[in-house]
Amino acid sequence: MSKTIFEKSQREQHAYSLPADEEEFQRFLPPQNLLRKVPLPLPEVSEIDLTRHFSELAHKNVGIDNVFYPLGSCTMKLNPRVNEWAAGLPGFVRTHPLAPEETIQGNLQLIHELLEILCYLCGMTAGTLLSNAGAQGEFVGIRMIASYHKKRGEGGRKEILIPDNAHGTNPATAAMAGYTIITIRSNKHGDLDLEDLKNHLSDRTAGLMLTNPNTLGLFSSHILEIAKLVHESGGLLYYDGANLNPLLNIVRPGDMGFDVMHINLHKTFSTPHGGGGPGSGPVLCNDKLKEFLPVPKVELVNGSYKLVWDEVGSIGRIASFHGNFGIYLRAYLYAKLHGNFGLRKIAEASVVNANYLKKKISGLFTVPFSQHCLHEFVIQADNYIDRGIRAMDIAKRLLDYGVYAPTVYFPLIIKECMLIEPTESESLATLDRFVDIMHKIVEEIQTHPELVKTAPHTKPVTRLDEVLAAKRPILKHLTLNL
Amino acid sequence: MDFVSNKGPQLQQMLEAIGVKNIEDLFCSIPENIRLPRPILDDGMSEYDGMKHMEALSAKNTYAGFDNYLGAGAYEHHIPAIVNAICSKSEFLTSYTPYQAEASQGMLQIIFEFQSAICAMTGMDVSNASLYDGASACAEAILMALRHRNDRSKILIARTLHPHYRAVVEQYLASHDFHVDYIPFHKDGRIDQEAFHNLLDHSTAAVLLQYPNFLGVVDDIKALSSQAKKCGALTILCANPLIYGLFSSAAELGVDIAVGDCQPFGLPLQFGGPYVGYMACKEDLVRQMPGRIVGETVDTKGRRGFVLTLQAREQHIRREKATSNICTNQALAALAALIGILWYGKEGLKKLALTNFQRASYLKSKLQSLTNFSSSEAVSFNEFAIDFDRPLEHIMDHFRRHGIEPGLDLGRYYPEFKGHLLVAVTETKSKMQLDHYYKTAVAIRGR
Repeated sequence: MSKTIFEKSQREQHAYSLPADEEEFQRFLPPQNLLRKVPLPLPEVSEIDLTRHFSELAHKNVGIDNVFYPLGSCTMKLNPRVNEWAAGLPGFVRTHPLAPEETIQGNLQLIHELLEILCYLCGMTAGTLLSNAGAQGEFVGIRMIASYHKKRGEGGRKEILIPDNAHGTNPATAAMAGYTIITIRSNKHGDLDLEDLKNHLSDRTAGLMLTNPNTLGLFSSHILEIAKLVHESGGLLYYDGANLNPLLNIVRPGDMGFDVMHINLHKTFSTPHGGGGPGSGPVLCNDKLKEFLPVPKVELVNGSYKLVWDEVGSIGRIASFHGNFGIYLRAYLYAKLHGNFGLRKIAEASVVNANYLKKKISGLFTVPFSQHCLHEFVIQADNYIDRGIRAMDIAKRLLDYGVYAPTVYFPLIIKECMLIEPTESESLATLDRFVDIMHKIVEEIQTHPELVKTAPHTKPVTRLDEVLAAKRPILKHLTLNL
Repeated sequence: MDFVSNKGPQLQQMLEAIGVKNIEDLFCSIPENIRLPRPILDDGMSEYDGMKHMEALSAKNTYAGFDNYLGAGAYEHHIPAIVNAICSKSEFLTSYTPYQAEASQGMLQIIFEFQSAICAMTGMDVSNASLYDGASACAEAILMALRHRNDRSKILIARTLHPHYRAVVEQYLASHDFHVDYIPFHKDGRIDQEAFHNLLDHSTAAVLLQYPNFLGVVDDIKALSSQAKKCGALTILCANPLIYGLFSSAAELGVDIAVGDCQPFGLPLQFGGPYVGYMACKEDLVRQMPGRIVGETVDTKGRRGFVLTLQAREQHIRREKATSNICTNQALAALAALIGILWYGKEGLKKLALTNFQRASYLKSKLQSLTNFSSSEAVSFNEFAIDFDRPLEHIMDHFRRHGIEPGLDLGRYYPEFKGHLLVAVTETKSKMQLDHYYKTAVAIRGR
């Protein structure tokens, strides 16, 4: 059984060292009445045991470096190690966020140039790197939309329109920003239902949040019409950039008619996801919304970079300092290495990979949308239900074959769905191997359904009791209070 | 360069299998009039050129050459070598949020241990998996308190809370109909308890305080929280977690929600991020908590395992009814903080906190001994304000010429503290460096 680090404690062992103490320091002691009474209930562990503990845990985890990771909507592409090298350079690592401008010209130049690159790629005119993740970027964008309407005396626009297949963050963000959410239906082609959209647009509409290609991997060919309709109603268009990867240097959200957007740098721009962050969610916008961007901003004045800490019109602050600098600097290098030429290749190869995989496994599952997809696609594992097998079972069995599972049960509107995104990183041989594995699993469903139903069998644990976890929550090391 | 595996032969084979002539055919759903032409010139860089480019940018930052005394929410500490060694392991660095628990036990256990470590330090009952940074942790805590006390609409925030954090809280509250009052402070940096008492009433949902506060002062949090409790308001305490190594824990201070930034453990300054926000609370508040939470459970064979739990709070299930929109948090930064905490451990953390206190006190007392400079008599931890009683511009220049970035000009945020510097001292400053600071200050006084 897996021990926690708290269970590996041995009295008086430790890993730390501290700089030599000086006699002159020792005479300073804090007042007794302010000190903690309960000793710190932390473990006592030597450096070798600490090292082995985390090595052990590493063996119980997998990343894109280890296995094929076709997790739909997450764009699990290679995280180039050169990015990690760059992020560790002392000039970046050792700069304080409040350091004087003249001592941080490198950082400020990087911010300024990265925004130029992103704006160019997206057809926008200005932006910010402050938001710490995609969802926080959404919040910034929606707050900017709110400020825009308020300034025009249209603060009564209190509705945000969101398609039924949108990421959960979209409605959660709009609600956090005080909006009423109106859900727009998808039609049978997986596209936004234009009639439903028209029925819900009004002088209460603040905007529409849209992912394009949507979470089914489909590009809405009516996008220009959608943009026109929303703008005619006086609303604005928010672009959820979670699925930007297949569009790099193919088409720009600004040209589609979007007014404001975010990018998930940990998806399209290869920054490592780190088991759930840190991410980075830059926000870009057009001239209509520029004045509302959050502070601080970086400006180039007479050849040197300046920080603008406050600005009239801005929505204000969103982060403690300058956002996740150590993350977006990786995205900057990634973009520089590729150039526009290389970025286009990413988009193309990601779309070829997805369509190839879709074609190859379409015989095994229900394919709800037959048209070409962009970077990802949806299949339904509903044809094995009579054998007692659901999408989750197939996902778990995939783990046994040494690949990560696709996203399952999202989007919520498709029954027994698996959302598969291979990314441009993967080679043909890897994709073919995945196809072979899927064939084998389908064979197993016919011959040994129990094997699939009880998978995984080769991982450190078998399926876990999630109901028990929620019913009797154990959320920390139990003897902590002893 | 690029990192695309498939080249001409594979792409051709795949296009044939798909049944299209060329790649463009796959983009036919995109209106032609907005499609961009393919770039002709390769404007990318080689890996070597990219590295040279980044080295040149990094070298333009001259800040690393100064003795750093800036703190104000971002502190320079020793980072144990083991932190980067572990955080750069492929299995952690390149994994996604642990959706498939059986293949993600490593990261799930790490989050469980992070939650345990946060509870150990704060003394609180439950912790989440992390939030973006200290500022967003404060904002989320306020929203959480307002959900818990949904019959109340007033919030009290100390003016001595980090000004950036205050601004982010305002950002998160801007679209809602809540009332915020700011709690004033005395000249010595301590919260004005009488003013606090007058502001507090039965419409107050929560009180947000900082420990030590932005001016470096350790307030009597216990007295404030018990007043809040009498009115039925929650106390939210934003703290530099290092202080818990030595000073009273949040639980001992009567706090309901403990938040802050774990940057002081294991995370470099790196221009302000990534850092990692933490949030811990009393058990009865757990269902209002934002973000991921990991729980312990068993597998089908009865073995212990870990899963994401209480997910009915979260955006991917509850959509607009979720407790927050947060999805990605700061997992790898939380791992760095966890390793930092464990490397110091039970005794080390106490000693580290004491070392910080002592070195800061040493410099503070040396500077206080200079007749023209004064500093508050209130208790501080590893940061303090010093009044130079003259325009700071020349003083800062003087320090910088001697290789010192002497601290933060407090007048930038508090007009009443014009001429004051906020000075942070950690274990990274030797006696020789502190004496150099002192001598540089003496030279200013002499002029």
